[in-house]
Amino acid sequence: GRRGPRGRNRGCVLTAIHLNVTDLGLGYETKEELIFRYCSGSCDAAETMYDKILKNLSKSRRLASDKAGQACCRPIAYDDDLSFLDDNLVYHILRKHSAKRCGCI
Amino acid sequence: LEHIPKGNNCLDAAKACNLDDTCKKYRSAYITPCTTSMSNEVCNRRKCHKALRQFFDKVPAKHSYGMLFCSCRDIACTERRRQTIVPVCSYEEREKPNCLNLQDSCKTNYICRSRLADFFTNCQPESRSASSCLKENYADCLLAYSGLIGTVMTPNYIDSSSLSVAPWCDCSNSGNDLEECLKFLNFFKDNTCLKNAIQAFGNGSDVTVW
Repeated sequence: GRRGPRGRNRGCVLTAIHLNVTDLGLGYETKEELIFRYCSGSCDAAETMYDKILKNLSKSRRLASDKAGQACCRPIAYDDDLSFLDDNLVYHILRKHSAKRCGCI
Repeated sequence: LEHIPKGNNCLDAAKACNLDDTCKKYRSAYITPCTTSMSNEVCNRRKCHKALRQFFDKVPAKHSYGMLFCSCRDIACTERRRQTIVPVCSYEEREKPNCLNLQDSCKTNYICRSRLADFFTNCQPESRSASSCLKENYADCLLAYSGLIGTVMTPNYIDSSSLSVAPWCDCSNSGNDLEECLKFLNFFKDNTCLKNAIQAFGNGSDVTVW
């Protein structure tokens, strides 16, 4: 995996798994495979002034709920398109289906 | 009874392509224009051809040839192999032109002209040689053949039971040039040098060349 762009929030990383296209649950019938990359990990260390204020307000109980709208580990760039031929000889293309870089956003 | 293999080599090649960043990228880069229909048209043939040329130019032979020249033992495999170049867009047309007319239009284009010349040079059959090729070089023949994909002379497999290939043309209405036309067409359809080269790649013999 790769760490987030700012160096903090090192918990937010890219992880790759080898899957069958059918594992994605998108309804395609094919025997082709892919590498799926996803972002996961904690974003507890505040990144921006906004996040810092939110964290402080949450700590001093000035907010209605804890952890309201806190940053989460999400793709900030996507992998290249993936194409495959299904069992009925029809081609399909998946776009923005797999992460390339992760960040706390 | 003969053992029936479970998977197929063409499927394995497609899997290998999608696990390789370069092959995956250039495969999608031609599947997209070759399967996107335009108003009244199946696709933009010019864009599909350009992307196919880039696929064979940029992707290492191990992957691109793997999908084009995979060896098959059943129809599921040969049909997948035939679909590699998205023939409904890159190959088929409403009518088949005469092959000599198609050759003339190929010669007006720099890329097509030079690649057709390479094909005739490097896939020249020779019955007395061990390889069946005058040049004794399978790699050069396959390179020349795959180089034609994405030109007006784009060839493809013509049936699911053999390695016979042809561009999208025939020899009807040839008049006095029938013999010349058939000679041109049969250089594709009935070429032992090309067939042996495809077979050698498919079953992994002649590995030293790749």
